Amino acid sequence: MAHQIEVDRLSKHYQVHEKEPGLMGSLRAFFARKYRVVKAVEGVSFNIDAGEMVGFLGPNGAGKTTTLKVLSGLLYPTSGRVNVLGFIPHQRQNEYLKQFTLVMGQKQQLMWDLPPMETFLVNRAIYEVPKGDFAAILKELDDLLELGPLLKKQVRKLSLGERMKCELAAALLHRPKVLFLDEPTIGLDVTMQARIRDFIAEYNRRHGATVILTSHYMADVTALCERIIVIDRGRLLYDGNFRALIERVAPYKVLKLQFERPPDLAALAQFGTVARADGLTAVLHVPRAHATDMAARLLSQVEVDDINFEEPAVEDIIRQVFAGQVDGLLSETGMARAS
Amino acid sequence: MRYARLFGLFLKASFLVELEYRANFAARAMVSVFWAGVTLVGAGVFYSHTDTVGGWTFDEALVIIGLFTFMGGVIQTFLQPNVQRIIEMIRLGTLDFVLTKPVNSQFMASLRYSQMFSIVDMLLGVAIVVWALFRLRYAPDLLTLAQFALMLVMAILIVYSIWMVIATLAFWLVKVNNMAELFNSVYDTGRFPVTTFQGLIRLALTFVVPIAFITTFPAQSLLGWLDATTLLAAVAMGVGLFTASALFWRRAVRSYSSAGS
Ligand SMILES: Nc1ncnc2c1ncn2[C@@H]1O[C@H](COP(=O)(O)OP(=O)(O)OP(=O)(O)O)[C@@H](O)[C@H]1O
Ligand SMILES: [Mg+2]
Repeated sequence: MAHQIEVDRLSKHYQVHEKEPGLMGSLRAFFARKYRVVKAVEGVSFNIDAGEMVGFLGPNGAGKTTTLKVLSGLLYPTSGRVNVLGFIPHQRQNEYLKQFTLVMGQKQQLMWDLPPMETFLVNRAIYEVPKGDFAAILKELDDLLELGPLLKKQVRKLSLGERMKCELAAALLHRPKVLFLDEPTIGLDVTMQARIRDFIAEYNRRHGATVILTSHYMADVTALCERIIVIDRGRLLYDGNFRALIERVAPYKVLKLQFERPPDLAALAQFGTVARADGLTAVLHVPRAHATDMAARLLSQVEVDDINFEEPAVEDIIRQVFAGQVDGLLSETGMARAS
Repeated sequence: MRYARLFGLFLKASFLVELEYRANFAARAMVSVFWAGVTLVGAGVFYSHTDTVGGWTFDEALVIIGLFTFMGGVIQTFLQPNVQRIIEMIRLGTLDFVLTKPVNSQFMASLRYSQMFSIVDMLLGVAIVVWALFRLRYAPDLLTLAQFALMLVMAILIVYSIWMVIATLAFWLVKVNNMAELFNSVYDTGRFPVTTFQGLIRLALTFVVPIAFITTFPAQSLLGWLDATTLLAAVAMGVGLFTASALFWRRAVRSYSSAGS
């Protein structure tokens, strides 16, 4: 029982009944229900320690939300073993429910017609937060999220971003030890995304809370999570250090070049792989280890107008991982975890 | 104790929502008075041809009409709005927020939103009962009042349980609203003494959809006509249905969990 969150060969299958369209289809479905099994999660294992922030990545329908729901005790596992804080989530004991929180960017718990404060007060009573603690916690959340005037406005009059800030606050009033955040930044503009992200980082730093975060915005994950878990079609693809994955998949830096005259591509190729070249610009992939040497040599030998180093786009890398273009990830996962 | 405080908070929040829609309040109150009036006039017309209906004089039947209005108010205030919400939460998946809270999920789901302005019906109902007792020149003694209170609690427990069963069906069926409508039309028979109905219908109104336990029997107990058997039957019916509804809810939540949202 060393880890705070333990997931051992978790599988979750949904039974969906198939129904053909139209009246006849409905009738047929009524008399002979046909079931199809959706294997949303299939044999996934991982452990997470207290205070870790883990990014949970995968394309649409990969099984991320399903896994978080199992961890929250909303779904029974079809098979496998799950343990969080020493509890079996689906038993939904009150002592467990008091120690985590679930935030879903697509759903809201705030009462629509009332100011957020009313929901806060109800949650305070539900979680039995003592009055003094509540005031202190609320003040802290107010400072970090700048809730101020929002608390007195009806939820339906808040913007999406303002509402998300209040949703987060409502979910954190009982100071949970474990945070399951399912796309908390969905639909927000870049500034608001960054605000929410900073808040999560600060919250984790102050309270040592464990965070599992899903997001389709790589910026969230890059900023927050050292470790990522990648799943696709219910299966674990990778579990380990995020930087290590990037360096493994993209062991190069991106060198962007601007010329005054069209360059000699053959000459460029000796400094790295030419990823793209059109007219007066070119993009080279240069091995990480030699990136600076190569750039220096290139500048001395080729006439360059402007030169720029960039990290490979995380989106591209993750897309390659999702597309299964990277082999042997899982074996690496095993080693990384075992050590 | 904790649940009483929570319920208080739920009521306060519901009341605040109501204030948001203040304009509805006057309109709603007028509708309530109108329907109570229609029921009373209807009963008046009925009784203009005869002295008793099903063994009840007009003044005695007024007690039933009062209770019918009162319980209608209970349904409108506490039960129907929450059933609508439960259906909506199941559809939108926001029931997840209820199920991850450290409180009894049935309590939280079924008493969260009240429609406070329907309290007007409850008050009207009480007024009609008092008026009826006044016309009868009858003051129930303490024991009778205690029995009546017990019958009333059982009646509330019975309607609550029926509505909860309807709401719980929403886990499997989409069109539960029709079911609620169906209950409402059956409930309408509660304005008449159950003794006006014959044979099978009367049996059905007593044991299948126990409307008799909701209006007629409590009225009898207030008038001091109640026998011990009916009292025990009411307690059994109330406790039994409540237990059944709670078990049904738990079963539904469990299958929701294993099938998914
Ligand atoms: N209640 C359900 N009943 C049946 N199938 C479901 C249910 N919920 C999810 N699924 C299916 O399970 C699979 C995994 O869904 P899940 O919501 O966990 O994916 P996800 O990784 O969260 O995707 P997204 O990034 O789109 O949110 C999908 O194929 C989905 O269609
Ligand atoms: Mg999802």
